[in-house]
Amino acid sequence: MAITRQEIEHIAVLARLDSTGGIFDRLAEDMQGIVGMVDKLQELQLDDLNDVIDTERKNAFHEDEPVQHFTPDRLIAPNAPTFEAGGVSVPRVVE
Amino acid sequence: MELMKKTAAELSAMLERKEVSAVELAKAAFARTAEVDGKVGAYLTVAEDPALAAAEAVDRRRAAGETLPPLAGVPVAVKDNICTEGTLTTCASKMLYNFVPPYNATVIEKLTENGAVVTGKVNMDEFAMGSSCENSAMKVTHNPHGLDRVPGGSSGGSAAVVAAGEVPLSLGSDTGGSIRQPASFCGVVGLKPTYGAVSRYGLIAFASSLDQIGPFARTVEDAAMLMDAIVGHDPLHDSTSAKAPFEGSLRANLNADMKGVRIGLPKEYFGAGISDEVRASVLAAADTYKALGAEVFEISLPLVEYALPIYYILSSAEASSNLARFDGVKYGYRAEGCEELLDIYVKSRSQGFGQEVQRRIMLGTYVLSSGYYDAYYKKARAAQRKIRAEFAAAFETCDVILTPVAPTTAYEIGSRTTNPLEMYAGDICTVSINIAGLPAMVQPCGFDGNRLPIGMQLIGPRFGEQKLMNAGLAYEQASGLKNIIAAL
Amino acid sequence: MKYEAVIGLEVHAELSTKSKIYCSCSAKFGAGINTHTCPVCTGMPGALPVLNRQVVHYAAKMGLATGCTINQLCKADRKNYFYPDLPKAYQISQFDVPICENGEVWFYVNGEKKCCRLERIHFEEDAGKLLHEEIDGTVVDFNRCGVPLIEMVTRPDLRSSAEAKEFLETIKTTLSYLDICDCKMEEGSIRCDINVSIRPEGSEELGTRVEMKNVNTFSGAVRAIDYEIKRQIDLVEAGGTVQQETRRWDDVKMKNTVMRTKEDAQDYRYFPDPDLIAVEIDDAWLEKIRSEIPELPVSRYERYRNEYGMTAMEARQLSDSFAKATMLDEAAASGKVKPKAAANWILSDVSKYLNDTEKELEATALTSEKLVDLICLIDSGTISGNAGKKVLVQLFETDESAEQIVERLGLKQVSDEGAILSIVQDVLAKNEKAVADFKAGKNVTGFLVGQCMKASKGQGNPQVINKLLAAELQKL
Repeated sequence: MAITRQEIEHIAVLARLDSTGGIFDRLAEDMQGIVGMVDKLQELQLDDLNDVIDTERKNAFHEDEPVQHFTPDRLIAPNAPTFEAGGVSVPRVVE
Repeated sequence: MELMKKTAAELSAMLERKEVSAVELAKAAFARTAEVDGKVGAYLTVAEDPALAAAEAVDRRRAAGETLPPLAGVPVAVKDNICTEGTLTTCASKMLYNFVPPYNATVIEKLTENGAVVTGKVNMDEFAMGSSCENSAMKVTHNPHGLDRVPGGSSGGSAAVVAAGEVPLSLGSDTGGSIRQPASFCGVVGLKPTYGAVSRYGLIAFASSLDQIGPFARTVEDAAMLMDAIVGHDPLHDSTSAKAPFEGSLRANLNADMKGVRIGLPKEYFGAGISDEVRASVLAAADTYKALGAEVFEISLPLVEYALPIYYILSSAEASSNLARFDGVKYGYRAEGCEELLDIYVKSRSQGFGQEVQRRIMLGTYVLSSGYYDAYYKKARAAQRKIRAEFAAAFETCDVILTPVAPTTAYEIGSRTTNPLEMYAGDICTVSINIAGLPAMVQPCGFDGNRLPIGMQLIGPRFGEQKLMNAGLAYEQASGLKNIIAAL
Repeated sequence: MKYEAVIGLEVHAELSTKSKIYCSCSAKFGAGINTHTCPVCTGMPGALPVLNRQVVHYAAKMGLATGCTINQLCKADRKNYFYPDLPKAYQISQFDVPICENGEVWFYVNGEKKCCRLERIHFEEDAGKLLHEEIDGTVVDFNRCGVPLIEMVTRPDLRSSAEAKEFLETIKTTLSYLDICDCKMEEGSIRCDINVSIRPEGSEELGTRVEMKNVNTFSGAVRAIDYEIKRQIDLVEAGGTVQQETRRWDDVKMKNTVMRTKEDAQDYRYFPDPDLIAVEIDDAWLEKIRSEIPELPVSRYERYRNEYGMTAMEARQLSDSFAKATMLDEAAASGKVKPKAAANWILSDVSKYLNDTEKELEATALTSEKLVDLICLIDSGTISGNAGKKVLVQLFETDESAEQIVERLGLKQVSDEGAILSIVQDVLAKNEKAVADFKAGKNVTGFLVGQCMKASKGQGNPQVINKLLAAELQKL
């Protein structure tokens, strides 16, 4: 399945990557080659394509007991690019 | 300096006998780093202060008469994608150039419990994507056996730091060969454990279903010692971790007797594409095993032909989702001058991620996207089940499987950076093992004409780490290829 | 032309677990900003999820209560999209194998029994909250990230806003019967997205549907549905066509506006979460869950109507509250009192007390045993009905038995005829004017009974007083 430039641009939008500029040209070109490589899989004949649930291991749970080890000052603030009014801040989001 | 030529097991015994202190060892490690790391370039962060504090604590406990674990006081370097509370953890990416984790990975907690002294964080391909360490956004790491050569990747720093004698032990991570291929290139031992044997909590994920943390060392015994410390079910933090039957006892149960051990040589792993020197060296190792009383025979694993597409589909799909959290909002790099949220996302990600990471995110997004999921992701999962079944069948007749690790020895820095496909082809011998969730160990089995190390790969059944260690030890004893430190 | 509306709902309910779905942070509402957070729920690099066992239990419980098939083997999937309230940039949800499928919810609309089929119920994590008040920009509060939700998706079986409202009320009472959601609408415990389409009456085809988001109350759902039905009819009548789109309901302006059109439909790239493993509910676990499900509201409603002859209103009032209905059923099961008598007490004095004090029945000291004892005391004439009301107030507030309260307050009724006769005679002797009035043909019975009650300090049995007073007056 060859991938078109338009599809590659759409993928970049989904992935929140810049789809403009010279760097993207290189990325788009590489994508063509990589998709060509993974397309080898299409040669493989498989009788069962159903996505089955892997049951090798089952049921890893935590019990319903709350524990609190962190404070926002220690957990969030030190790495936040901008931290205001108790949390990370971003430009105003309007839905 | 002489101290750092010793194995971890030797150092552990010296510490135990109080012939050396943990602080002295840490200082010796940092002295060796000061001497050679300018040439090798393994470290991204040297954590001298916390390391010395940890070493002092170990010495105090020992002075107080406590019996300490074997690793207590032994220096260990850690790949920079494993979270260390209070110490920079960058994944060698501009995206996390300033990230200081607020918590420790489970393996770091385990190292601490065992008294190991974490010396710092070492270089890697950005987000563990790559096979040469050249995708690091931070620095170039050189192969200690040939400074113009790559150390391999993605755990290139972990392999180089051990091969250069800066530390006896290090931790790396392996998603498609990222421990084994650099171990091979640098002439050291590297183990990729069975999926689930070591907790992934705190390992910054590349591909969750394939990633495993594992040890680097210069001897099999040392690798067993480090593995004994980090193995373990982590039910509170990692749902995919499991209880390994050999938990904590690999070193104690080492047994080099090879009589009757069945070793399979899959013909597909020795075919075209593998350099003559590598093939000859691994086949010579097979002869050594025969001489030691093992049954060695050819087997077939034909699906290896599809391993690369399966691997690149699955790992990239997971990576595209795992790396979506790096969006410039909560931590790490945020592009300057963004007035809108979408700008923060797109600019931070496009500027923060390197080319290879962006390629994988693009591929992964594509194979999961509407209309392509079935043809790529779903089909790759179905093929993954076939590969698992193929290996399971092989292990009905063999105890271990012996293969090359990489088609060639370490290549020159910069020689393969133009075509990503050329780089991907180098993963052909290692990716199947992650797809199948199996353990595999790499150790040196010779040198090529340029005196560059050649490695061999021993593959075991699920949780067959002891078999690998035993076979590795037997070869090590027979060949004398152990504790190789590069002349620098 | 006449049109029929076709409505489907996606209802999100927050489960009342103590901890979050994939980490052990508290799931409690209303904490200080970002104080209920950890590396897992803030999407820190390297952090991994571990599923809360109780979430599986609760989700399956709702599935069993709504007649779903339980997928005893299920898994979690990632739904990928970027938004600041979603720190991992994916929501852990369930995609192709939800925990529950193919259920039915029965409910009454204007006396008629209806069924709305459930396509599925799945568990997932809630997102955080974006705050716009404090600063020019937006601040992210991650406290709600990872609070467990179940999403219940209906088939398009609802035909009016009234049906939708009754369906939602039934979901709410069911959740509260199962004790898996605190159902606090003001805290966003139950929210819904609404799909509306219209078609000519009698047509079997489905029209183009519009999805409405941001509906936070059941009455808001009614307004949003009525608005959208009218909008679509007006549009079609005017020669237009309905576009497949998502619209945002504004309950203040009472209108909706386009959020996104079909063209910018999201591609969520669902795939199985590789950080999590399969969830298996074995038969023993499933039976345990089943055993915890009480008789459900609609069944009780029907029983109260049919067996106890209650009005629709009475039956509804009782069956809407698990605590009240259970108190009634336990009282009835005691065999000591008439169910209707217990129902009357619960509907009147008990309900009034709870309303006045804004308390939940479970939070008071009243139990069905105490209520039964109280009714028995009245039935046996030990206390009067009026005294019973006084005792009830105490029953809510103290651990004493009804008898102890009667004793403490001295409310025991005197029915002994000898004792009452002497009171009656005494009253007659002291009230010569009333006796004279009686002889003159005036009705003074009420006055004299009052005097007798007073003389007995309110403890005289009024029936006995009435009887003996009448007899004594006859003798005059």
